Amino acid sequence: MLALLLLHLVAATVAPLLVRWWGRQAFLALALVPAVGFAWVMAQLGAVTGGGEVQETTPWVPTLDLEIALRLDALSLTLAALVTGVGALVLLYCARYFEPDDEGIGRFAGSLTAFAGSMLGLVLADDLLLLYVFWELTTVFSYLLIGGSGARLAARRAASQALILTTAGGLAMFVGLIMLGETSGSYLLSEVVANPGDGPFLVAGTVLVLVGALTKSAMIPFHFWLPAAMEAPTPVSAYLHAAAMVKAGIYLVARLAPGFAEVPGWRPIVLGLGLATMLVGGYRAIRQNDLKLLLAFGTVSQLGFLMVLVGSGSQEMAAAGLAMVVAHALFKSTLFLTVGVVDHATGSRDLRVLSGLGRRLPVLAVVGGLAGASMAGVPPLIGFVGKEAAFTALLDGGLPDRGVALLVLTGLVLGSVLTAAYTFRFLWGAFARKPGCADVELVHPSAPLFLAAPAVLALASLLLGPFSPLLEPLAAGYAEELPLIAPEAEKLAVWHGLQPALALSAVTLLGGYAVFALRAPINRFQRRVAVGASADEGYWNTLQGLDRLSVLVTGTTQRGSLPAYLGTILLVVIALPGSVLLFRAPWPGEWRAWDSPIQALVGAVALIGAVLAIRIRQRLSAVLVVGVTGYALAVLFALHGAPDLALTQFLVETLTLVVFVLVLRKLPKDITDRHRPRERAGRGLIAVAVGALMAAAGAVAMSVRTATPVSVAYPEAAYDFGGGQNVVNVTLVDIRAWDTLGEISLVVVAATGVASLVFLRRRTGAVDRMDPVELARQGRSSRRAPRGQWLSATAALAPERRSVILEVITRILFHTILVFSLYLLFSGHNEPGGGFAGGLVAGLALVLRYLAGGRYELGEAAPVDPGLLLGAGLLFAGGTGAVGLALGAEVLQTAILENTFPVLGDVKLVTSLFFDIGVYLIVVGLVLDILRSLGAELDRQVDEDDPIDVSPGEVIVR
Amino acid sequence: MTPTVVLPVIIGGLYAAGVYLLLDRSLTRVLLGFLLLGNATNLLLLSAGGPSGLAPILGYAEAEEMSDPLPQALILTAIVITFGIAAFLLALIYRSWRLVRQEVVEVDEEDRRIARRSDTDADEIDPDDLAPEDRSAMHADTLAADDEVERRLARHFAGIPSDDVDLPPTRRADR
Amino acid sequence: MISVLTPLPVLLPLLGAAAALLVGGRHPRTQRVLSILVLSAVLVVSGALLVLADGDGAAAVSVGDWPVPLGISLVVDRLSALMLVVAATVALGVLVFAVGQGAADGDEETPISIFHPTFLVLIAGVANAFLAGDLFNLYVGFEILLTASYVLLTLGGSAPRIRAGITYIVVSLLSSLLFLAAIALVYAATGTVNMAQLAVRLADLPAGTQLLLQSMLLIAFCIKAAVFPLSAWLPDSYPTAPAPVTAVFAGLLTKVGVYAVIRTQTLLFPGGALDQVLMWAALATMLIGILGAVAQTDIRRILSFTLVSHIGYMIFGISLASQAGLAGAIFYVVHHIAIQTTLFLVAGLVERQGGSTSVDRLGSLATASPVLAVLYFVPAMNLAGIPPFSGFIGKLGLLQAGVEDGGWLPIVLVGGGAVTSLLTLLAISRVWNRAFWRPRAQSPEGDTFEAAAADAGPEIQPAAVAADAPGAAGTDADGGADRSADADTDGDAAEGLVGASAVAAPGGRRTARQAAWKRHAAVATASTPATDGFGDEQGRERPLQPLPRVMVGATAAMVAVTVGLTALAGPLYGVAERAAGDLLDRTPYISAVFGGEDVP
Repeated sequence: MLALLLLHLVAATVAPLLVRWWGRQAFLALALVPAVGFAWVMAQLGAVTGGGEVQETTPWVPTLDLEIALRLDALSLTLAALVTGVGALVLLYCARYFEPDDEGIGRFAGSLTAFAGSMLGLVLADDLLLLYVFWELTTVFSYLLIGGSGARLAARRAASQALILTTAGGLAMFVGLIMLGETSGSYLLSEVVANPGDGPFLVAGTVLVLVGALTKSAMIPFHFWLPAAMEAPTPVSAYLHAAAMVKAGIYLVARLAPGFAEVPGWRPIVLGLGLATMLVGGYRAIRQNDLKLLLAFGTVSQLGFLMVLVGSGSQEMAAAGLAMVVAHALFKSTLFLTVGVVDHATGSRDLRVLSGLGRRLPVLAVVGGLAGASMAGVPPLIGFVGKEAAFTALLDGGLPDRGVALLVLTGLVLGSVLTAAYTFRFLWGAFARKPGCADVELVHPSAPLFLAAPAVLALASLLLGPFSPLLEPLAAGYAEELPLIAPEAEKLAVWHGLQPALALSAVTLLGGYAVFALRAPINRFQRRVAVGASADEGYWNTLQGLDRLSVLVTGTTQRGSLPAYLGTILLVVIALPGSVLLFRAPWPGEWRAWDSPIQALVGAVALIGAVLAIRIRQRLSAVLVVGVTGYALAVLFALHGAPDLALTQFLVETLTLVVFVLVLRKLPKDITDRHRPRERAGRGLIAVAVGALMAAAGAVAMSVRTATPVSVAYPEAAYDFGGGQNVVNVTLVDIRAWDTLGEISLVVVAATGVASLVFLRRRTGAVDRMDPVELARQGRSSRRAPRGQWLSATAALAPERRSVILEVITRILFHTILVFSLYLLFSGHNEPGGGFAGGLVAGLALVLRYLAGGRYELGEAAPVDPGLLLGAGLLFAGGTGAVGLALGAEVLQTAILENTFPVLGDVKLVTSLFFDIGVYLIVVGLVLDILRSLGAELDRQVDEDDPIDVSPGEVIVR
Repeated sequence: MTPTVVLPVIIGGLYAAGVYLLLDRSLTRVLLGFLLLGNATNLLLLSAGGPSGLAPILGYAEAEEMSDPLPQALILTAIVITFGIAAFLLALIYRSWRLVRQEVVEVDEEDRRIARRSDTDADEIDPDDLAPEDRSAMHADTLAADDEVERRLARHFAGIPSDDVDLPPTRRADR
Repeated sequence: MISVLTPLPVLLPLLGAAAALLVGGRHPRTQRVLSILVLSAVLVVSGALLVLADGDGAAAVSVGDWPVPLGISLVVDRLSALMLVVAATVALGVLVFAVGQGAADGDEETPISIFHPTFLVLIAGVANAFLAGDLFNLYVGFEILLTASYVLLTLGGSAPRIRAGITYIVVSLLSSLLFLAAIALVYAATGTVNMAQLAVRLADLPAGTQLLLQSMLLIAFCIKAAVFPLSAWLPDSYPTAPAPVTAVFAGLLTKVGVYAVIRTQTLLFPGGALDQVLMWAALATMLIGILGAVAQTDIRRILSFTLVSHIGYMIFGISLASQAGLAGAIFYVVHHIAIQTTLFLVAGLVERQGGSTSVDRLGSLATASPVLAVLYFVPAMNLAGIPPFSGFIGKLGLLQAGVEDGGWLPIVLVGGGAVTSLLTLLAISRVWNRAFWRPRAQSPEGDTFEAAAADAGPEIQPAAVAADAPGAAGTDADGGADRSADADTDGDAAEGLVGASAVAAPGGRRTARQAAWKRHAAVATASTPATDGFGDEQGRERPLQPLPRVMVGATAAMVAVTVGLTALAGPLYGVAERAAGDLLDRTPYISAVFGGEDVP
């Protein structure tokens, strides 16, 4: 069976190709695929009617009980035969329905074949979840088929309506299926039906599954998608909306009825909605003027009929139901195909325009007539047999409750009257000659192959009537799972002798003709009582309501303002950890005032700086006071006994100030305040709350510490493993070197980012230097400048921007500082310092050169591409790790090499030094990059005032 | 460990100031707020190490009188990270200034546009707002028909009262 | 063996980045080849790690061979290995796409010397976050990938990107600060940052303090994972970046947050406190996120909102705290990484093809480029959880877990999940309807008189009549209803029905056309951006250049991967199930780090 499904899949994928090669003839080849399926199914007939089953299981996701379990029993076989048989004929029909020059045939062919495959899978699936898989697949393909090329709005609307509606039902059903599966403990359809189990979810699950079935089979109030779907080309209507897809719901109900018919809620829903649908569908069908619409409403009505039959959960009704399913599939697809031929031949489907077609297309008329007769329930066609069986069943049994049974019976009879009525309207409308209406001309002659499909189907309807006993074993085979309520089971047959049921059939036909004859007054009446609203409009209004809701919700949650987002986050912080802190957390029992009084003093300075930072509106001063806080922090670190920290903090703070100055010199002096007082108050509240929270949280967390920190083992470990005395430095370059590696790669990226934002397209290239000629000329020209050149490129500076003292100091200090930075780097392992500190110091030296001598001076000082520095540094640091790995050690493992050299004497080299060198290089690279972009490049842009580069779509407010 | 009073006060103060600045619309102040918050967090991390002690350098102090070295290492990492990001933010501020001559956090226009949206797309508007031939077939059944067509048809097909709008002929639909 | 492989997913990209910097922009070809080689190597290594981890359980490496609680340990268990594999896969796909784009239109969108090193470091950061067995190292990992993402997001420094970048960066900074503060609190309370050790030590703390630490960490991670109400930043920041950047962001970054949440809820705080809170958050995230998607008209924004919304699914699975729930969440993470990346790449292609990502400017893409149509339709259906794709399988697992749990709140969430999936389908089918099916002329932007005429269609009359009346047909054809043509019609079509209908025709056609015109005007004015970069004509008159092969190839490969997830769902879900099992009983992780002996 899996092979069959795969065959369909393959055929669907190659279909566009075939169409490209052979044009519409490709359908003939594609028709073979379902035909093969049909043949296979028929081959199994003997085995299945013999009471056997064909099973096949392939695991898929065992953890979720999702497996490809396929099973062919009487019910599946009947449906599978219909799906494959009608599918083959419809594909055959397509070969003539489309014109050779039609567009999108390939797409259509692919979708239709794929649909046939998934429909086959649906009726074969024995796994609840697998059933859902195919269920949704049919939905998706019908979406594609209805939408067609998507050029027409109506088609798009119909397609998405069908998709959304049936998927909504499908999802409900999905949840329901899971509930049923969990309740019964198995996801195998056969086992679930055999033993539904019992639990809280039984009823809920059943109802949800029914919702899915109802939407798929277009029951009220979800019926409207089906007529809308008539936008699709006729073959699609004939296959999806008559024979196959709409039967899915019926199939599911029929499949579950044996196990779930007794579940409270089942019968009211199924019978009630089924009857209502049958009547409403018929009522609407008898006033349609478009033949296709007429059939669509007819289908809705018939589906209601079927739903009642297969849902009532008794043997005799089920048997009738199965017969009726076959009958309906046969005659309804025939009729649709007939309409297709009419439409194809005349270019219209409007029964007000069509006239005298019966004479023009006699064969078609006969075919349509047969199918119509079957629909109306005229003996000896199969339609009659099914209807007859249903009436008989309900007359003596059918349902546990007699009253209900009779009620249902009357409903069915009424419905059948309407059915007969619209059958007459259809036949008259399609083929009869109408007064005051010219006979239509045939635009296209219709080829014999075109008529073949409907002819075959009609013939089947005709033959299966007398030969209905052939259906008996299948019907019985399925129905025997259900309890028999009637005294004895009637066999399917055309002639049961003179019975009340026969009388009822006669009544329906006569009543039907009466309604047809009185169509004028009835239609007038219908128009008078008609209500303006419809479920359809309900759907669109729901959709619009959803849209309004979504806009409303999104408009409120998605304000697009950063402060709002930050505020929300902070409010959550205050709400959650805050409340925990207040009500749940144990507060510290005892407090110390401070580690040392000076701490409080410095802290006060820091706080003052912070407060000033809030008050001050002048950019630079605000930055300076924040800097003060930073320096205060450095002091606090020193007091706490963290010299490395203090050193680094001090250097970083200084560098930060420099960078700030570099940028802020381009920005206006003051910060414009654009906040309303209320905003400020809100901010203040949040700020205070967060501050209090964090302060308290810190204390609370500390107070509960009982465990000894891991770091107690650091000192001697640092010496023994790390070979260094400065524990913090060893921690950085060795114990936690992995952190540091990550951190420096982050620094590399940050530097790249700075360059990217200033240079936009590139990050490479060193700072440009001044060419010697230019330099010399500058030197001669600048008279007022002092004779002796202290710094090589200062000549480029305008005299007023030069300061001799600064130049002298720089000249003297620069190299000294560099040497000091190297000292910090190498001594770092045993004394305060290390790669970071060293790099930062070197960076400051560069800053000095730049400030003193301008951008060309920077070029002179560091004639390298910072990218190279960064890359080299990263290579160094990461390389040490990789080398360790290569030598079979752990990543970033340190080795201590001690050796005695002639001159130097005892030298102890720790390999982690290389790591530290990498750090040093990267920090220098970062500083150089910053100076190069935020310093030199900005200068250049000012000097050569190149226009602000604006990419299209950027507005500049001057 | 017993917490001190002073450190939490400093931490809380720095956090409060930082948050206040962070909620400003001026990028410069946002950045300053970020720096303050960074300092506050580093101080929190430092206080997490316990009471102060001597510098964790062997030979300079004994293991037991040292201050906890681990938080120091973490803070050192954090400091450098903060510096890198701060530099990037400054470049960002400069770029923003260069582009739109202002360095304030702007509001996302698309969000505002969505919030202003009133009408939905043609594919979703109520069928009655659509041209008749755009209505899906089922809608034909809601008696909201195009009178002009109705009158014309009624005139010519007397005796066939109708209140329906046709489906567009499928031949056109396929082309 | 494993101790050699484990650091590589981080080291290789870093060394690659170093090489990239040394090469600089000078040799673009070498640069591209290098990056691709590096990421392929990472993919291979991750695959090996997954095999090892799934074969013989979790393993840990102590960096620098330091005794365990002192140094940093990198831990590879099933979860992290799985994450590594997926991350490497999408990273490679995106890189190839970016290379293709760079080859197609030069350095504009992804400047070699900036994009490549940064991208590699980003991947290194992601890998580090997945491998970290040390809370502070996890923080460093986050910082690496975030900083890299800042740079990538503001690539090219155009105004919209700067604005988006600011939102994204500041929010991320806040979350990182919260994370660091949480680490400080954790160290203050326990005196360690080694996660395995924390798993033991945290349990000894008073319940209140535990709750405090847990909530701090969760908030920090939920910001990164974009969980409502901490999610608003995401849709504002992602859509503006270059296509490959957005793709990798959407796929990976939020999931790193989810990964951290999983670790917090299972390894560090297994008590299941705050599960209720998480469930409510999950529900809100799903529904509000998807409503946002329904409201949008730009493909990238729609995708961003679905991204947020589907994070809710994962949080739902995590908050169930059952093996089934966690397994579902893990599988969904895998699926979602792949699918979101793919769809954003497709959005990039759509922008190239149609000149915009706004559905109001796009049209008839299905006919213009069938390949693109397939490339969109399959992953879109996958995202909406249409079977048999992986999205359906993930959803199935989560809903099953919810029903198994049986509590009323989980059931509500199951319902919410179903609704979300339906609305996702609605949102993405609208994109299909408008951008792929609807002819360009009918799109609100194309609201010309001709378009209106075309949209109004021929006059309403039985086609048979139309066939009989060539004059009327003629006026149909030429669209513009000019009096002369109508006069002719009246002239030659004299008798009966034909004449009558033809006379009536112009009136009918005109009214219809006016209706269509009005509709166009209404819709267009309703949904044209107030201020947007490029004018409509740039959207419309853009010539249809063929899509670059490499980009299409990369996207197709990603689509193949997402479909492959369906085929491989069985074994994959098995891994997820086992991983969830490991997470719930935490001994594999802890004993992997500490070996046999008991934790100090």
